Amino acid sequence: MPTLDSKPLDYDVMIVGAGVAGMESAASLGDMGYKVALVEKNSSIGGRSILLSKVFPTLDCASCIVTPKMAAAAHHPQIDPMVYTEVDSIVRNGDGTFTVDLHKKASYVDFDACTGCAQCEIACTVAVPDQYNYDLVARRVAHIPFPQAVPKKAVIERHGQAPCTHTCPAGVKPSGFVSLVRAGRHEQAFHMHLADAPMVGSLSRACYAPCEGECTRGDKEGTVHIRAIKRYMVDRYYADHAVPEYGPVENQLATRVAVVGSGPGGLTAAFHLAKAGHQVTVFEAESHAGGMLRHGMPRYRMPKEILDRDILNITALGVEIQTGTPVNRIAELKAQGFDAVYIGVGNQKPRIIPIEGRELPGTEIQDCMRFLRETNVGDELPDIKGKHMVVLGGGNVALDVARTAVRMEAASVSILCLEPREKMPAHGWEVEEADEEGVRICAGGATKRLYRDAEGQAQLEYLKVGTIEFTEEGKLKSFKATPGTEQSLPADIVVLAVGLGPSTDAFRDELGLTPGGIITVDDQTLQTSDPVVFAGGDAVLGPSIIVEAMGQGRRAAFYMDRMLRGEAMDVSFGDTLEMTDKQTVLDTSKSWRPVAPVALPVRPPKERVQSFECYEQTMTEAEARHEANRCLNCGECSQCQECVRVCPAFCIDFDMKPKAMQLQVGSVILSTGYEILDPARKVPLGYGTIPDVISGPQMDRLLAPTRPYNGVLRPSDGKEPENIAIVLCNGSRDHTVCNPLCCRIGCMYSVKHAQLVMGALPLADVTIYYIDIRAFGKGYDEFYEQSKGMGVNYVKGKVARVEQLENGNMALSYEDMEGARGLKKREHDLVVLTVGFLPNTEPFKLYKGGTLDADDFDYVRELDPVSEPCCTNVAGLFAAGALVGVRDIPDTVLHAGAAAAQVATYLESARAN
Amino acid sequence: MSPICKIEREMLEIVQDEMVMKDRIAALLAQGPRTIPEIAEALHHSSYEVTIWLFAMRRYGDVEEIGRADVDGYFKYELKEKPANDAAVGSEER
Ligand SMILES: Cc1cc2nc3c(=O)[nH]c(=O)nc-3n(C[C@H](O)[C@H](O)[C@H](O)COP(=O)(O)OP(=O)(O)OC[C@H]3O[C@@H](n4cnc5c(N)ncnc54)[C@H](O)[C@@H]3O)c2cc1C
Ligand code: SF4
Ligand code: SF4
Ligand code: SF4
Repeated sequence: MPTLDSKPLDYDVMIVGAGVAGMESAASLGDMGYKVALVEKNSSIGGRSILLSKVFPTLDCASCIVTPKMAAAAHHPQIDPMVYTEVDSIVRNGDGTFTVDLHKKASYVDFDACTGCAQCEIACTVAVPDQYNYDLVARRVAHIPFPQAVPKKAVIERHGQAPCTHTCPAGVKPSGFVSLVRAGRHEQAFHMHLADAPMVGSLSRACYAPCEGECTRGDKEGTVHIRAIKRYMVDRYYADHAVPEYGPVENQLATRVAVVGSGPGGLTAAFHLAKAGHQVTVFEAESHAGGMLRHGMPRYRMPKEILDRDILNITALGVEIQTGTPVNRIAELKAQGFDAVYIGVGNQKPRIIPIEGRELPGTEIQDCMRFLRETNVGDELPDIKGKHMVVLGGGNVALDVARTAVRMEAASVSILCLEPREKMPAHGWEVEEADEEGVRICAGGATKRLYRDAEGQAQLEYLKVGTIEFTEEGKLKSFKATPGTEQSLPADIVVLAVGLGPSTDAFRDELGLTPGGIITVDDQTLQTSDPVVFAGGDAVLGPSIIVEAMGQGRRAAFYMDRMLRGEAMDVSFGDTLEMTDKQTVLDTSKSWRPVAPVALPVRPPKERVQSFECYEQTMTEAEARHEANRCLNCGECSQCQECVRVCPAFCIDFDMKPKAMQLQVGSVILSTGYEILDPARKVPLGYGTIPDVISGPQMDRLLAPTRPYNGVLRPSDGKEPENIAIVLCNGSRDHTVCNPLCCRIGCMYSVKHAQLVMGALPLADVTIYYIDIRAFGKGYDEFYEQSKGMGVNYVKGKVARVEQLENGNMALSYEDMEGARGLKKREHDLVVLTVGFLPNTEPFKLYKGGTLDADDFDYVRELDPVSEPCCTNVAGLFAAGALVGVRDIPDTVLHAGAAAAQVATYLESARAN
Repeated sequence: MSPICKIEREMLEIVQDEMVMKDRIAALLAQGPRTIPEIAEALHHSSYEVTIWLFAMRRYGDVEEIGRADVDGYFKYELKEKPANDAAVGSEER
């Protein structure tokens, strides 16, 4: 035996699995003075036994037996309980010690601070089946596993980040506010959105919703209408709160930040900087704040009163917005005492293309921004009544111009663009809607000249595009017009919407710009060539979308805050979990009932072109909650932040990461227990289709003091059953499920169930269907006889089928093996299937240093149960409890004691050598 | 409604509806205590699914049973006195 002293050991022994066996071995070894690591993958120790009602044959309360063992293991000075920890590999070293790799899973709760108050669980918005109640009831994603848990700490289950949330460039968490709206909490939904991005109303109207593009439900009946849900939530909130409920933050700093440009990016940066305590002034060249949201987006999709209300979310923090104040030199801002500057000037400089005949008298050529600005902020709309308008360009801006013009009673509005219709840069749905509103779409046409026809009408002549090429990113590369294909469109006004450039001319001398005028920044921090100047939004990205600009505003604010506080800049921002695997979510929900998306209320085209009223309408509460309930909870935890909001001990930490460890130990005990056979495998017995056919473990939960219902009730309708059948040996001694073994405990726990039911429901009849009763232990036969004395009926017969009857009860068909014999039927109103057990094969995967031998039934093989109990084929690696064969609690305790003795022998002989 | 009640959906799918159904059940119980079959009939849902939603509501303190089961073996459930809804479980309240 090699010496153990050759390597420093972290523990004398590691015990994997903290059920009765693991706890017992740990306590014995701890008492002998050995240092023990007790590893448990669940968040509480106790194993399956702590979930039991009472124990046979004494009918002692399981909690009374197991809780002291849990306390002893948890508080023993020699034992380190490591819960929520999984072993990844066990390797035996040459010197007879073991190297164990393991990791503590991220619980997202600081265990040291958690008081176990369960407020997070009560507030959590995601319900999932409760495995600790064998799926009889729901629990929450944030949960304490059961009332007697040791340690009594909450954990949060996360399976990656929901695709919608992972996609949002502004870091908004759609999965979270959707979950809150589903739960009827629109106020909290608004607040959690606000914490990430303040322009909630604007996003609810004008965001192109990349989240919806990624939504997993989109691969089923259609994406969850996330933006429409947001619209419902924000409309309700703004209706109730005309002004924000907060003011400037308490901890005001002396640092001053200038934000240049009040578009969504600038305002978002201002919001987050002000929340961090900085003094923020926003400088806006135009007469009104809002950038493109104000000047570029037509009212019918971006109502200006919503924008005004959004801006209050920012100014409420004390942010000052100076409109009509263009900034032409950054140096001037510095001279005024600003410590840092954010440039968010956008991309509003129109591209002008020459058109032959542009001087034609009576024809007006305008740039798109001027047209949109005049229609959006002036008191009066420009008069285009009765005029023919052609809009050049096929992007979203061209569509906005054209659809605005049809609302201003133009005689005709046409769009002329180079791309074929299916390649137009605008969204397909937007082109459709423009079409419905009467905009003529001339896709695939190249402008030739302006001229006046014989009747004196100005016309724009164009040629058909013959060939057109795009770059890999889908940008237009080149095109060729086909001569001789001339056609004309009436054109009193021509609006150029053929591209916009960054509005950065003023900063050419002060900042690094690309030849195209884009500000060059550090990708991570958004810092420009001047270290105190940061930039984001369209001025950095080129033409983008509002939520991208907001994302950059938020990112820049994060790094500006760090810079101003003198903190390191080489930290990552928005470090998130990996995206949930959509396929897994789709597989899990494969058999779910299809639920069609709520049809969004939209005004008919004829009605909507009559005014600038919003053409989309807001869903009702019932519609919004129904739509939100289509969400598949892709990441389990929705990130709704309710737990964070309510936790009095501030212990939720979503940045927590799993912690990998490597430990050197003198020996290892595996005590990972057993698996329970899924009774649904016995199809004729109806488990999984008939609600009142339940399993033995479920019956134990119904009888436990911490039961899921208020008594022993049938799951189908909450009725107290009157006539209960307990059917033994389902999936044990059963070759149809390849499990020839007697489960060893089914008979006795069923006798226990029968006795306990008779105590709980004194008027109920209880019948046990058995093949033979195996009451082999001390006091077990007496226990069985006692049940007979109490009136439990015993029927020797194999149950072949359970069917549901018209009255809701069940008919059991069984082969009578005594008495009259033959096939019989009996009616019951609750059926309990005593299920067989299966080996837990996980340990075979954990041992990586060779092969851990299995016995003929796939349990871990004991070298010799008589002469070498608990010893496996690997010296120093022991097995305790049900892992080597299912057994009851007294036998498990004995076996665990034997394992402890074997470990002590191993360690001592190693030391002696 | 036929007394026959089958499991028609997976548990995960059923429990997901709880967040919507619990307010509908609460609204019904606000009118007076009811048994599970009565709730199921009023809401046109299977009594098995109502059992699952109702016992989650009971677990998290929204409802409780009254006294003993009636002669047919059914308990009546009523709303439990507590702040208007669990959305109100904020740190300020405690
Ligand atoms: C319905 C029912 C009723 C019963 N009634 C009785 C009764 O009345 N009386 C009685 O004596 N017995 C009863 N039993 C049997 C009793 O549950 C077992 O005897 C006992 O649980 C065996 O203890 P164990 O420690 O070997 O396994 P378990 O209790 O199964 O504990 C194993 C532990 O290991 C953990 N684990 C698993 N894999 C890993 C891993 N890779 N890493 C870390 N941890 C891991 C598990 O999470 C678990 O905590 C009943 C069983 C059932 C199902
Ligand atoms: S609310 Fe906080 S302290 Fe209470 S159980 Fe949850 S995490 Fe622990
Ligand atoms: S963020 Fe929401 S869903 Fe996630 S654990 Fe907290 S309360 Fe539950
Ligand atoms: S199903 Fe829900 S969580 Fe998943 S992507 Fe869609 S909205 Fe997000």
